[in-house]
Amino acid sequence: MQPFHFEFQVMLDSLPQLLLGARLTLLVTLLGCTFGFVLGAFFGLLRSLDSFWPRKIAGFYIETIRGTPLMVQMMFLYFGLPLLLGLRMPALVAGIVAISVNAGAYIAEVVRGAIEGLPKGQMEAARSIGLSKAQAMRHVILPQAFRAMIPPLGNQFVISLKDTSLLVVIGVGELTRTGQEVISVNFRAFEVWLTVALLYLCLTLAISQFLRFLERRFKVVG
Amino acid sequence: MIRIQDISKSFDGKIVLEGASFSVEPGEVVVIIGPSGSGKSTLLRCINALERPEQGEVWVGGQDMAHANLDQVRTQAGMVFQQFNLFPHMTVLDNLTLGPKVVKKMTSQEAEALGKRLLDKVGLADKLTAFPAELSGGQQQRVAIARALAMEPKVMLFDEPTSALDPELIGEVLLVMQQLAEEGMTMVVVTHEMGFARQVADRVVFMDEGRIAAQGPATEMFDTPPHPRLKEFLNRVLTHGVSAD
Repeated sequence: MQPFHFEFQVMLDSLPQLLLGARLTLLVTLLGCTFGFVLGAFFGLLRSLDSFWPRKIAGFYIETIRGTPLMVQMMFLYFGLPLLLGLRMPALVAGIVAISVNAGAYIAEVVRGAIEGLPKGQMEAARSIGLSKAQAMRHVILPQAFRAMIPPLGNQFVISLKDTSLLVVIGVGELTRTGQEVISVNFRAFEVWLTVALLYLCLTLAISQFLRFLERRFKVVG
Repeated sequence: MIRIQDISKSFDGKIVLEGASFSVEPGEVVVIIGPSGSGKSTLLRCINALERPEQGEVWVGGQDMAHANLDQVRTQAGMVFQQFNLFPHMTVLDNLTLGPKVVKKMTSQEAEALGKRLLDKVGLADKLTAFPAELSGGQQQRVAIARALAMEPKVMLFDEPTSALDPELIGEVLLVMQQLAEEGMTMVVVTHEMGFARQVADRVVFMDEGRIAAQGPATEMFDTPPHPRLKEFLNRVLTHGVSAD
């Protein structure tokens, strides 16, 4: 084996191509987390309702997704499902769907936890001044629950961003995949994976900074 | 104003109310006393339909709670809780105007004028823009009273309103309640403040094991307790430093 020489120039040279991958990673993350939030809010609300069937349906979704690996979900969606349906969605779409559905299940638990974590007296006080259940939700429960949700949501967004690296198995050209491609040409695994790791770190730090800003912005006095 | 007929309620097989009946006339101030677990709070919560009795009837303002539109009936009975339950994400004024705006469809201006008037009444006109966490317990409870009053209820229900307060803050809350009573508000108060009961109550109701064990004018109830359990209860409470004069 040849002695190893670290070459900073390799990192710089590979950067333009890796940034293109990072851009796709960011796109998948943003879309995945946005749809994931919509799914999570919906199923989280369902699960915090009193009625039997909504709870059961939401519970089934959440347990199924949380109980199976994302990698398997992705392969099933991209390689398995087409055999049944007779058509295959583009890899990028499959990836976004998988990230959304996966994040949605975890976010649903975040939403439910935030709602059920509020003191029972809040709903009672709202009801006692004549608000309907829906009005109480809208004016009293959800605004408070939303604030409680921000830190765990940020956590989930960071996890989802890192999860997008699994899209490599269905051939989406995101950051990790791009790293592999660059290495297959220049054979500089050390410099390239180091650059890839630093790029992921930049992205996750940006997300947590943004969430910290939101947290401050919506802080409740006291 | 309020008529309760033979209501029963249990939680997880534990009987809390067992055939309790009582009524409240307009303008009357009724204080409910009794040992903890005797069903006082549950009785109060049945009046506001926060709990539904398994048996019996609850009538408020001539309406049967079992068949009424609860959101509408609830506005007739204001509730003040032991833990205040103010909305922590809203200013004091917004706490007061939420109900009038959302339920009664008042304009912001009307609701704010009403809110300011009520805060003035409970002596907190200078706290309009404060958040609940910036207030003392006594101030929070006075805001909670004003919030309930903002719905212009026909009756006010108080569920141990001073039990969560530091001793030196109890007086200011009782004063506001006494003032309300003097204005002729119909009130049902669950409390351990025997001094307040004696001074303000038209009638004292003693609850024991889910039933109304005795009731009558305060002086009668305290000076010549008509029920052995009441006598026992009063002895226990009074020797623990709660004044009954």
